[in-house]
Amino acid sequence: MGNAVTQFQIISKSPEEAAKFYGSLFRWKVDANNPMGYRRIDTGSAEGIQGGIWPAPPQTPTFVQLFVTVEDVKATAAEAVELGAKLLIPPTMLPEGEEMAVLHDPQGMSFGLWRAAV
Amino acid sequence: MFRQRLNLEFATRKKANPRYSLRAFAAFLETDHSTLSKILSGARKATSSQLRTMGKKLGMSAEEITVHLAAEHVPDESTVQREAMLAHWTAEALAVVTGSLHWAIVRLSKRPEFQADCRWIAGQTKTTLDEVNLALTRLLRLELIDGRWRDQTGLAELTEITFRKLALERVRKKAAEDHIEIGGKERKATKWVTR
Repeated sequence: MGNAVTQFQIISKSPEEAAKFYGSLFRWKVDANNPMGYRRIDTGSAEGIQGGIWPAPPQTPTFVQLFVTVEDVKATAAEAVELGAKLLIPPTMLPEGEEMAVLHDPQGMSFGLWRAAV
Repeated sequence: MFRQRLNLEFATRKKANPRYSLRAFAAFLETDHSTLSKILSGARKATSSQLRTMGKKLGMSAEEITVHLAAEHVPDESTVQREAMLAHWTAEALAVVTGSLHWAIVRLSKRPEFQADCRWIAGQTKTTLDEVNLALTRLLRLELIDGRWRDQTGLAELTEITFRKLALERVRKKAAEDHIEIGGKERKATKWVTR
């Protein structure tokens, strides 16, 4: 079975404005009450995937990043690098037990690997 | 691109008349065959004046010629990509040599009371959550902290000066992987390193 895309992340120069805009337009709930202060998006729909908003560094344009759930973040990141990807953020454990990594694919598009807390 | 338009026109004429020569095409376009050969191969670009003359000879409208003139000045994809990379690494270097949030986070991470909680870090450093998250992401990218936010500098003497020096070294190393040189010891400039 293949790996599913399970999260989208808006990398925004103005996270607060993005939260207000999309919250207002699509009636999404945005909650940052967690140890990362991560603006989690609850679309309120059983369809599709859920997401979040993360601040963009000053030199980076606003873009959307997709996260794919994998069983082993480290192993998949290593496999991606072997296939020509570049590791941007090495496998990292988040405060609530999730694990993630961010890479650039061989064409330079960034994507994330994700494993939920166990 | 104007070059492709010229190549297409030349190919069409040759197809209609296999004996149609580059010299004949150059004469039609009111240029010499050597210049035309270079333009067709991409060894050089047509000047604005040449483009206007050739465009008129090919029956292009003024609007079409204007579009081709503008297109000639649009940087190609690789140039745009390199410029973005240069901007990125310059900004990364600037971020680690200005302000002291990165240093403050690493210093905090060594304390026994450290909490891997951005809200706690923001409170301690009197910064916003977004500022903390940006700094944390950068520290992770530069491998100055590990996945559990612990100090990975390996510095025996961790001071703001030694930290900044190391952080800048890491930025230089990462930039070099993208073939970009960030301010060397003698040349305080940022430049491309041609492969």
